[in-house]
Amino acid sequence: MKDYFRITPEGTKDLLFEECLANRTVSSILGSVFSHRGFHEVLTPGIEFYDLFSEEISGIPMESMFKMSDSKGRLMVMRPDSTLPIARMVTTRLMNERHPIRLYYNQRVYRCNPGLTGRSNEVMQTGIELIGAKGKRADLETITTAIEALSKCVPDFRIELGNAAFFKAVAKNLPVSDEKREEIRTLIESKNYSALNSVLDKIGDIQAADIIRKLPGLFGGVEVLDEAYKLCNDETALKTLEYVREIYNDLSKLGLGERLIIDLGLVQRNDYYSDIVFSGYVMGSGEPVLIGGRYDKLLDRFGLPAPAVGFGINVDALAGVMLERGNIPQKQVPAVLVHSVKGHEIEAIKYTMALSEANILGENSVFETEEQALEYARYKGIKKLAIVGDEIKTVDTGA
Amino acid sequence: MKPLRIALTKGRLEKDTVGLLEAAGFDCTAVREKGRRLILPIGGANIEVVLAKAADVITYVENGVCDLGVVGKDTIMENGRSFYEILDLGFGKCRFALAGKAGTDFFSGYEAKTIATKYPNVTRGFFEGKGMDIRIIKIEGSVELAPLLGLADAIVDIVETGSTLRENGLEIIEDNVAPISARLIANTASLKLRKAEIEELTKKMEAERGK
Repeated sequence: MKDYFRITPEGTKDLLFEECLANRTVSSILGSVFSHRGFHEVLTPGIEFYDLFSEEISGIPMESMFKMSDSKGRLMVMRPDSTLPIARMVTTRLMNERHPIRLYYNQRVYRCNPGLTGRSNEVMQTGIELIGAKGKRADLETITTAIEALSKCVPDFRIELGNAAFFKAVAKNLPVSDEKREEIRTLIESKNYSALNSVLDKIGDIQAADIIRKLPGLFGGVEVLDEAYKLCNDETALKTLEYVREIYNDLSKLGLGERLIIDLGLVQRNDYYSDIVFSGYVMGSGEPVLIGGRYDKLLDRFGLPAPAVGFGINVDALAGVMLERGNIPQKQVPAVLVHSVKGHEIEAIKYTMALSEANILGENSVFETEEQALEYARYKGIKKLAIVGDEIKTVDTGA
Repeated sequence: MKPLRIALTKGRLEKDTVGLLEAAGFDCTAVREKGRRLILPIGGANIEVVLAKAADVITYVENGVCDLGVVGKDTIMENGRSFYEILDLGFGKCRFALAGKAGTDFFSGYEAKTIATKYPNVTRGFFEGKGMDIRIIKIEGSVELAPLLGLADAIVDIVETGSTLRENGLEIIEDNVAPISARLIANTASLKLRKAEIEELTKKMEAERGK
């Protein structure tokens, strides 16, 4: 039998030093933004019942979840998403809590991606959920939190707005089956103009088909909304556009300029999004680093209807970009190596602790002799060696 | 600003794309005289051409190291994955077809059929749609051999004129499996971050397409 004990599973890796530091730095920057804005951290289990993530609600295909069974033979999955567990938690343990509930999380999610494509199967994700609040104030609170979070990490992000209800309102007018409508949605999601056209050609020359045809191209500045206005006469659809414009106008006051964009073809796989949706992009990452939106119907499923809005950030992607740009602090070299003369070990440890109190990075040497300690300090680039004996003597290592 | 990188599928699609780009007014001398180089600049524009194998075009675009790519719909269908498919370039036309030995009725009998193909995912999807259980054998070249040698009952492959099939005593059973042509694909983030440049290029390509 072949042993795999020396390699990590595909799609996973050990994060060493800089990478780990980058990851933790991003998590802590974002966590601090969230907690300063009144969100409280929660952790949900790494393993959950499969039932929570059934495809019709999560939009996550069964084959992309890691599955196992518990001692009773029930089907379990490695958490593929954080929003659904939080919805479960809010509608059970927090069912009597006063709304709005403001939560944030910073935990790993697992997806089993097709092999050898360079995608990670394990991603650190952080995000917020604002539950029990509807309306513009809640949407603005969430989107501006997203903007603040990204701006603390990279200045040149872009935030993109869309409205899941716009597609739903327009698609409702198409005389097609639900399966066909879903096919049309995936074609818009992938901006597959040619396949979309051939599907729509079969439907015939109706106005709804015309708008859908243009939908994948309806992204860019605020002019996109004007264009959509001209194409559309469905009252519900027009209202959803009006709402995007309101949010856009409000957010413009933050001075984001061209970094604020609109994509009416933003019709994500996550079916639970019901109204405003938004994504964040950063130069250097080939996929969105932030995805979010309003999901007012999701909690119905757990028997406790409540409006909700939130987003998730791919910490690994953001950390990768920051590391590449050199925006992550270097691994710190200790300022002092503390060596103890035999019999003075505890004193040396006490001295190292005192250095740490004084905010000086000190490392307690575990070598037997002063020569070994000195050689190690030089190799590691530690500039000073403190020798703790009857008295404390500090020498330059020459590193 | 980093150049806009466009990955081309080496071979015929590369030549057709270069033709289209030249018609659209881009200087592709470097690509025509590429020698063994794989990354080539386009004269007078902030664009770089990368030459790659079909499936790799998708991989480079999906991971964002190339912003755009030109690849056949057959490769897209076989590999799937996440990117935007923004333009049907109109060349490289052919279709997926199911073909078997001439004169045999493929759909008769209850035995599970064996299909030889270079495109196992497309084949699986096609027969799933029909609710048929089949056995798939992956073949790397000249798939037509498999039914002739008795390894498979039929093949799923791309067909242009069907003459190779006829010459080998095979006939098309169904050729509405899917129509194929070259597609321009874009990385999801690039399309948002470099919208103006990408739109300018696609508009020019679209205008020249089918001329």
